Amino acid sequence: MIIYIFGIVLLILIAPLLLSFIKATKMVLLYKRPISIFQGYRNFNKLLNKENIISRESSAITKYAPFLVLSPLIIVMFFLPPLVHGSYYVSFVDAFTITGLVSLSTFFLMLLGLDSASAFGGMGSSREAFISALVEPAMVLTIFSVSLMAGNLGVGQAGVNLAEHFPQEHMASFLFSGISFFILLMAENGRIPVDNPETHLELTMVHEAMILDLTGLYLALIEMASSIKFVIFASLFASLFIPFGYGFGVLTAFLFFIIKLFIIAFVVALLEVHTAKLRLFKIPNLLGIAIVFAFLSLITFYVLGA
Amino acid sequence: MFQFDLLSLVFVALILLGAVANIFYSSGYLPHIERKVHYQVHYFAFIFSMLGVVVSANALVFLFFWELMSLTSWQLILTEVKEKSTIKAAQFYFIMTHFGFVFLLLFFLIVTDGNLEIGFADMKLIASTFAYPTLLFFFLILGFLSKAGAVPLHVWLPYAHPAAPSPVSALMSGVMLKVAIYGMFRFLFDVLYPWPLEWGIVILTLGALSSLIGVLYALSEHDIKALLANHSIENIGIILIGFAMGMIFDSLGLYTLSTFAFIAALFHTFNHMSFKSLLFMGAGSILHQTDTKDMQKYGGLIKAMPITGVTFLIAAISISALPPSNGFLSEWMIFQSMLSSSYIDTVSLKLAIPFAIFALAMTGGLAIACFVKAYGITFLGLHRSTNAKHAHEVNLLMKIGMVLMALVVVSLMLFTPLYIKYFDNVFVSLSHISVYDKIFPEGVWHMHSVGINGGIVSPVILLFSLVGITLLMLFAYKVFNVKTRVHNTWACGYKTSKKTQYSSTGFAGPIRRFFNWLYKADEHLTKETIAGHTSKFNSSHYEVHVKPLFEDVFYNNIAKAVNYISYWVYRLAHFEQTRYSAMIFNILLVVLFSYRIFSHEFSWATSVLEFFVMMISIKVLIIGDKR
Repeated sequence: MIIYIFGIVLLILIAPLLLSFIKATKMVLLYKRPISIFQGYRNFNKLLNKENIISRESSAITKYAPFLVLSPLIIVMFFLPPLVHGSYYVSFVDAFTITGLVSLSTFFLMLLGLDSASAFGGMGSSREAFISALVEPAMVLTIFSVSLMAGNLGVGQAGVNLAEHFPQEHMASFLFSGISFFILLMAENGRIPVDNPETHLELTMVHEAMILDLTGLYLALIEMASSIKFVIFASLFASLFIPFGYGFGVLTAFLFFIIKLFIIAFVVALLEVHTAKLRLFKIPNLLGIAIVFAFLSLITFYVLGA
Repeated sequence: MFQFDLLSLVFVALILLGAVANIFYSSGYLPHIERKVHYQVHYFAFIFSMLGVVVSANALVFLFFWELMSLTSWQLILTEVKEKSTIKAAQFYFIMTHFGFVFLLLFFLIVTDGNLEIGFADMKLIASTFAYPTLLFFFLILGFLSKAGAVPLHVWLPYAHPAAPSPVSALMSGVMLKVAIYGMFRFLFDVLYPWPLEWGIVILTLGALSSLIGVLYALSEHDIKALLANHSIENIGIILIGFAMGMIFDSLGLYTLSTFAFIAALFHTFNHMSFKSLLFMGAGSILHQTDTKDMQKYGGLIKAMPITGVTFLIAAISISALPPSNGFLSEWMIFQSMLSSSYIDTVSLKLAIPFAIFALAMTGGLAIACFVKAYGITFLGLHRSTNAKHAHEVNLLMKIGMVLMALVVVSLMLFTPLYIKYFDNVFVSLSHISVYDKIFPEGVWHMHSVGINGGIVSPVILLFSLVGITLLMLFAYKVFNVKTRVHNTWACGYKTSKKTQYSSTGFAGPIRRFFNWLYKADEHLTKETIAGHTSKFNSSHYEVHVKPLFEDVFYNNIAKAVNYISYWVYRLAHFEQTRYSAMIFNILLVVLFSYRIFSHEFSWATSVLEFFVMMISIKVLIIGDKR
């Protein structure tokens, strides 16, 4: 139980680090002088010391939505597959509940965007609604096919099963669903081919547009939510698609898991540097690829058993 | 004449749950209605007739109450006949509902052998000896699904529901559609059992199509009640998916999964009743205050109407199937039953079901987008019209109605095990096996899927942990006493006004553009440009109208074909007498010539020759010269 709680706290703590790491890596790759990888914590600290400004046009939704954006994601943290062998984990919660909780958080974020009566907010919400509507089916199909390979619909149990018995006989469908999930990881977290988290240009903003009107504590909450969301997806990827190193000793396993997270972050940074942001109406093509791979994975599993 | 078995009683419970809150709401709405007596008489007769349908024990009583239900609801649509569109909607509803009635009548005439007073058990005997059970099945689904509003018989819903007064739309959408689902349950279980596999697949296809098409058209709507009506099509689709999975599993012999899927369908029926009634009540309250159904004229209503706003939010979360709401739980059950399809042996069926999963997941995503739009544009931001600015909370009775309905929604979420126990008993009484102990094997906290290695969800724990963590954070926020300042929204140095916000057209813009192959939208853009500049203009106006594809392709083309045929029949009926004799001569020729074919003495040469003889005689004798 202690390891379980420690794992969750650790993941929440390193969440800002991962995002700063991606940013720093990108800057190095672009021959810029990188920011410190602790910039995320500094920003957080800065925001906490600022005063909170609430828009005059907004309603009670703005008051409560930032908390409701964060809390479903915190709950999801409790349902992730275990990081190390022997740790307590919630075995039974399935992918629908997890995607549902992530959607709940997005739902309130979108309402938040519409609440301040600014054109930016509406723009962000509208685009986010468009993207997340297309992410949903790919997500469900991908997780369905992974759970078939793992032999359990509960995400925690699936992670353990995969770690204990790597599905070599289903390598083809495993790879297909891995590709699909990685595209979803990029899309759900607003990384570059889908959304550019660094820009504040209205042509390209999605996530930033929704929260443009927030500052202080509320912004800190939302930033925390988005970094936790990245950690959730990265650690799902790490434990479902790179299921190695689970059986090491406690400390080694933790370290190994964190290294896996940083590798994922590095790959994300590499992809971000090498791709241009897609136009909004090209995004369905990318998500279409994710959907097709998810279907392929299911079909290979059913028909070929491979 | 009447029967009160568990299936009837569960639907009686559904109607009562839907009606009690509605009666409060309707009494509050009454001052808004001009023809009060007409309205009240039909309103109560409507509720009464729905109760009658679900407890009737023979075909005659069933059809009587069914027709009474159709007629009273038709009159209720006509309560406020100010606009021409209302009359048109009522006509459309009248025709569609009787289109379904014809098929029901055919069904009953066949299965009762003409004696409409026999019970359902006797009907089953007659149906089992009937040579074409699939014909009976098609009569049945045409009859009931035209009422329930499944694709392609859904076209009347987006007209009829907005035209009716809001309490009535809540009843029609929330309860009346479910009476049609009752019909499906009753006659498929009691009369047409056992089902071939194909029937389940037909219903699955219809359900998947309905859910996607319903939500896509809902997204493009501006009229809030039409939006909700389109969502009814979607939810009926979801119910049908669950129902179809039950039928498929049953015909494959997987009885546990079958009961599970049926429970999911019945649970979603209840859930849809609760949140759709609540949403229509909320829409009615807004309509009452702002005097328009156009969402583009709302905005900022949560400040003026907090109770409507909060109850609408609860229903919106529930209909978007977000955890831990009741809508999520029933969709979760339907998903789980579809995921159990990996235990089916037939590979082609196994491969087909992921497409239904895809449709349902896509529907879920689009429903979230749609309700963010509906809630955000209606309740958040700044008011977009003067009426919205001066709106205030509705009267006490209407508030009571909405709060009661919200309680029904919450109770379906909190007391899921109790409801499922009840639903389980229903299916046991319909000679299916009980699965309650498999859904809740370790007490009521965790809900299990009955498939092997299925998922588990714990709704109440999820709800409390969500509320708990949120409250904890709010508490911390209060304790730290963060300095807060109120200031205008930043709008690039301009002033925020009602025109700087996104409109509902704009919000659905990306999705509408992506699905334009389906919508075939009519766009109108007018600009008043300044001195010939293309990018500088005084004012501009953008309008987009989405054409209902099914109505265009399906119904209008059928209408055209009928018109064409009737023209030729007309021509035929107005021949001169000489031509009639010519026709008779020609028909005689056809009979003579075709005799050769029937007696298997076919040869190409004579056939060609005969064909030319026929053509010449038709040309000479019937068509004649053009004058």
